[in-house]
Amino acid sequence: MSQYLTYFKIKFISGLQYRSAALAGLSTQFFFGLVFIMVYHAFYTSGSGKLPMEYSALVSYLWLGQAFYALTYLYHREKDVINMIKNGDVAYELCKPGNLYLKWFFKIFGSKLSSVLLRFAPVILVAIILPINFRLTSPVSLYSFIGFILTLILGSFLITAITTLLHILTFYTIDAEGVLNFFRVIAELFAGAIVPIPFLPKFLQTISNYLPFQYISDVPFRIYVGNISSNMILNTLLIQFIWFIIISIIGIFLTKKALKKVIVQGG
Amino acid sequence: MKLYFKYMHLHLKSALQYKKSFILSIISQLFVFFTYYFTIIALFNKFSNIKGFTLYEVLLTFAIIQIGYIVNESFGRGLDKFDDLIIAGEFDRILVKPRNILLQVFGYKIEIVKMTKLIQGIIILIIALVNLDISWNTMKVLTLILMIISSILIFFGIFLLAASYCFITVQGLEVRNLFTDGGKHMAQYPIGIFNKSFIFIFTFIIPYAFVNYYPLLYLLGKSNNYLYGFSPLLILIFLIPCFLAFNLGRKHYTSCGS
Repeated sequence: MSQYLTYFKIKFISGLQYRSAALAGLSTQFFFGLVFIMVYHAFYTSGSGKLPMEYSALVSYLWLGQAFYALTYLYHREKDVINMIKNGDVAYELCKPGNLYLKWFFKIFGSKLSSVLLRFAPVILVAIILPINFRLTSPVSLYSFIGFILTLILGSFLITAITTLLHILTFYTIDAEGVLNFFRVIAELFAGAIVPIPFLPKFLQTISNYLPFQYISDVPFRIYVGNISSNMILNTLLIQFIWFIIISIIGIFLTKKALKKVIVQGG
Repeated sequence: MKLYFKYMHLHLKSALQYKKSFILSIISQLFVFFTYYFTIIALFNKFSNIKGFTLYEVLLTFAIIQIGYIVNESFGRGLDKFDDLIIAGEFDRILVKPRNILLQVFGYKIEIVKMTKLIQGIIILIIALVNLDISWNTMKVLTLILMIISSILIFFGIFLLAASYCFITVQGLEVRNLFTDGGKHMAQYPIGIFNKSFIFIFTFIIPYAFVNYYPLLYLLGKSNNYLYGFSPLLILIFLIPCFLAFNLGRKHYTSCGS
């Protein structure tokens, strides 16, 4: 286990070095956060029928989305892993002891965690002091806050497992773009990253209930704002855990299968 | 111009060498673009209007802005990826050739795949126009054409500014995404729906409002001021500093020696 934690630590510490990249990312996050909120604000003030979310809850949801963007971002590409597969260096990696899947899992987890830790606090700190129409409000209750933290942690394991799986699929597609981007777009839609899940048409909401993606960020954020009641927390945690296990098993299985017939592209 | 078509021909040929990957990336481009307007459709499913603008009115704005962006992104990827050109020293090669520099940069890379987005954008434009009840006359047709042209020009100007910045920093700056991607994202709604300070910035500094708001008001009959219909022409003023910046940057360019 300590071996994998070292991979995690290496990625984590090196990720923390990219502070100026984080700064640039932050400005983007603020800008997009404000634009999204203004668009929704314009919609809400135009008056309409029944809406699936309170305005203030939606604003909080959007800010959380921006704050934890680096964590929930589905387009994360761990360059050294992809290059390893493409240029055949994975052959060296196989000579080293340890499970390939776990190594990659912890690498990806490390770089995701470091980039989110550099970004989330400033976004939240600014978002809570903005004028009332743009403000991130406090969670509805202590339970929902605890529920939010727990589901977000499990959600981060889930997104890491999904990201690792996408990297492993590069074994099969070689090209890291095309097909996999197609998959990412679908996942993004059902993760609530384009429009919050409650704003989706009914049939898409039903489909999303049978998919893992909304448990990455949409459900934790909705627990925070009280859109999902706090007695659903245990239920959510259980579903997240089951999805995490399923995706990890698929990932481990596909790694084994790929390595059995690994074709090293040149030397 | 002939030279540019030659560039295009070459890029098409090279893209078609990888048939499977070409088709797959076209499909994925279709989907990526779908998510863009899906947001708008999904939101109008819940809301009836946004500050008085209806679904098709917003889709019209969306299509015009997207077309302007995509034209630049696909036909002039070299300008978009200008930092790559400088880092790789490709720009030095361009400088020694006896042709227009900007044209060469523009045609350096042409993304055939992205053109599928252009087709989608045009389809949405047509759908929006068919569903809108516009009392057409010559002036309004002219306004629509001006809007599309100005949309292409404004993104050209912004890409040009971003490229000039690369002369100084060598590396492309992530901040420029704010003005290209971010601007595109924002301008797909009529600028008038935003806060006053945003409207100010995007009228007088980066004049999106003259592409998608004032002419739109005239086009939809929300305003009868025909000057609004001509307002896209103001984009030409915006282009002046963009060209100046690029030329200034080029004069002070010292190769990074790779």
